[in-house]
Parts: sequence; structure tokens; C-alpha cells
Amino acid sequence: MANGRPAALWGLVAAHAAAAGRRAAVADVCAVVVSSARAGGGWVAAASGRAPDFVICVTDLVSEQLAEVQLMLGEGPCHDVLATAAPVLAADLGDEPSNGRWPAFTPEARQLGAAAVYAFPLVIGAIRAGVMGLYRSSPGPLSGPQFADCLLLADTATILLLDGLGDRAGPAAGGDGRRARPAGQPPELAAHRAEIDQATGMLTVQLGVGVTEAFARLRAYAYTHDRRLADVAADIVARRLHLHPDTTQDGGR
Amino acid sequence: MDPELLSDTFVGLADTMVADFDVIDFLHMLTDRSVALLAASAAGVVLADPRGELRVAAASSEAAGLIELFQIQNDQGPCLDCFRTGQPVTAADLTSADQRWPRFAAATVQAGFRTVEALPMRLRDQVVGALNLFRATPGPFAVADLRIGQALADVATIGLLQERNLRRSEILAEQLQGALNSRVVIEQAKGKLAERLTIDMEDAFRMLREYARNSNQHLTDVARNFVDSATADFPPPPRR
Repeated sequence: MANGRPAALWGLVAAHAAAAGRRAAVADVCAVVVSSARAGGGWVAAASGRAPDFVICVTDLVSEQLAEVQLMLGEGPCHDVLATAAPVLAADLGDEPSNGRWPAFTPEARQLGAAAVYAFPLVIGAIRAGVMGLYRSSPGPLSGPQFADCLLLADTATILLLDGLGDRAGPAAGGDGRRARPAGQPPELAAHRAEIDQATGMLTVQLGVGVTEAFARLRAYAYTHDRRLADVAADIVARRLHLHPDTTQDGGR
Repeated sequence: MDPELLSDTFVGLADTMVADFDVIDFLHMLTDRSVALLAASAAGVVLADPRGELRVAAASSEAAGLIELFQIQNDQGPCLDCFRTGQPVTAADLTSADQRWPRFAAATVQAGFRTVEALPMRLRDQVVGALNLFRATPGPFAVADLRIGQALADVATIGLLQERNLRRSEILAEQLQGALNSRVVIEQAKGKLAERLTIDMEDAFRMLREYARNSNQHLTDVARNFVDSATADFPPPPRR
């Protein structure tokens, strides 16, 4: 089933970033997903725990209001996707299930001009980075290929968001300058490997850190040693490689 | 086939499905039962991620060799063919020199299997995945067994649809992604527990599953609470 779609989508994100004269960021993913899904607009919000917390980027005024109104009401598709770690595809906000599910959000959203809302969790297992939302001004489902693109771009947004959170956290959060990170590379999540998740779990114990930080350290190690993430993960799972809280001591055990 | 085991299986599956249940745990039960009922050595449920990948949701053994067989099938193998055609695909006697799927055949023989059967998981006209049966000895599965196998594959498909509201065609896509993420949470928890207790992934999985069962919690919730927990103690302290 392998295909070149993840790379093609990453190309679009990178081109959008280059046109804006910057390194690829969540805002570039947002712009690409809106175009790919033929949406009216989109937004990305970062998560704090199990709820969306603050808006990272929006593509238009309606998106901004849709994102903000959910934070204000504490209700809506973006809350649901973080609770269940599954997408919510509300193809028609005028239907009964939508009204019953979000009694406060639905009328507000329709008043803002949204007829359909699609929300995607930016998660990797227990890692919750945030949520990506899209709206359309007329009802209707996403097509199969559009849905697939949304999932792939949500993966990309997840990685960029996690990297961005690391940047903002600064030295206090362990960003000591040696923690170089991949830049300008497509995320490697398209080819899923159980070892990456298992290694992430193992590193929470080896390093005494949370799962988000453990995943960051795994990626940083792969990047600084110029190795594939899946290969590093396989070495950790096979206990051929052991990481230490102090990165200078990383290596075999 | 043992008729009592057969009726036990379907009664057990039906019992699970009338209540709130954990999809991944349910699919694991299904693969365990497939092995017991169908003269199989191993079984696995593979789901088609719309991202363009076949992903393992459950396997009767967490052995690395078996999981690897599913991963190879993103390039070639009966499971991929089954997913593409929506039809059962049989490999009744694989040898490492098999020309249809050379990489898959070599890895299968290496892992100790000779016969592979892939049964489609379909909902209406959509193929959402496949139930894979592996056997150590050559020769096809009995026709009667394959009919039971297909029934189990159909039950697996229905199990994915945890919400009863089938009017919305989006439900399946939503539930499928939720199940795939649950699997990731469980892998993260296996890793944390395996490291904490210096045990292998298979034992870690067994402990997580037994604890979930004995404490009457969803496997995914147990896994998530453990990964989220600030300590590596298992079982994790109750969430505040």
C-alpha cells in the first residue's frame, strides 16, 4: 500500500513555507489542508492535557472565531477529538446529531457561516499535541482522498507542533542547545512501526520524563546520529541502545 | 472443530458487544479464539489506515516475527491482495522460493509458518481490513473452518463500529482512527512496563491485559493512565 502521497503533501507544505520565506510551520500545514480539503478555512489549537488550550494559527476570520468559540464554550468537535483521540466529521451542522452533541457550539458555528466542521486530533498514542479543525460553508462529507490527506497533514502538524512547543519551552524544559531537531524533513510517521511507540514508552523510564519529552529525545537521537527513527527504536527495544538523562552518556549499555 | 468452543466463542463475543467494551481487547480475544477454533498457529487483525498503510490492530502473539509479517504486507502478501480485491486469499503451502510474494514468503517460512489465509473484513462495499490466519503445517484450511473464520472477520468489523448510530457513514472512519490510536497507546504502555520490570513486550502486554480485566477497566484506559502517570509504578495510582 506504500504510496508517495506523504512526500507529495510534504512538498506542498515546504513550498508554502518557502514562498513565505520561513521554515515549515504549522501555519503552512493549515494552508495546505484547507486547499486540499476544499475547506473554507482551518485552524490549529495546542492542547493542554485533554482539552484544546490556545489557538496557534487560523487561515481566516471565520476559522478564528470557530476556534475561539470552542475554547470559550468548552464544547465542540475540537474537545471531542482530544477526548477520544479520533476525528470528528460533522458533515452537516444542521442535522440532529450535531445539535444534540454540541447544543451551545452548533448554533454559534452556523451563525458564523459554518455548515460543516471536521476536526482531527494531533496525537500520537498518549501524546496530545493539539487539534486541527476545518470548516465548510456548505454541508457535505470529505471525500476518501480528502480524508486521507487530512490524516497525513494532521500527522505533519503534530510533529511541527511538538517541535514548536519545544522551542517555546526553551532551556528550562531541557532545550539545552544540544537537542538538535530535524528541520526541513518530512515527518517519518507515514510508515508506522510499533517499535517507535514501544521505544518511546521505554524512554519515559530510562530518562525519567513524560511521553512527549521521551518521543522528542528519540527523534533528536535519530537526527543527531543521522539514523532512521525506526532503526534507533528497534535498537532501544532490543536493548542494544540505552539513552541517559545526560545526552553525553547515550550509547550501548 | 469443537462445537462447544464454537458456541462459547460466539456467546462470549455477543456478551462483550452488548456492553461498553475496548475495541483492541475485543480484537485480541477474536484472534485468540481464531487460533483455538480454526486449527491455526497464529492469527492477526490488520486494519487499512486511509493514510495508505495496513496496520496491526491485534495479534494472537506479540512475537516480533509475526508482527514483522504484517508490516511486510504493506508491500506484498496475501493480506494486501485480500485488501485490494475484497476476496479471501489463500497461500496453502509457502516455500521461501514462492514467486508471488518472495519477501513475504521468505519471512513467513523464517517465522515458522507454511500456510496463510487472509479473510476480508468488509462493511457494505468497503474493505476495512483483514483477518489473517497462519499455520505451521502446509495444506489449506478446511472449508468449514474458513466459513467460521469469515464469520469471525465479520464480527470483528462490527466490533469496530462501537456506536450503534450507523446512519452516519463517517462513524466507521472515526472509530477506525480511534482504534489505531488506541493501539499506539498500548504499544507505548508496553514499552514503559517492559523497561520498568525488565520483561519482554509479550509479557508486558499480558500484564496490562490481565490487570485491565481484573480491575474491570478498558485496556486502552489502563494503558493511557499508565503512560500518563508521572511514575513508572504499575498499576498506576488512580487518576485524580
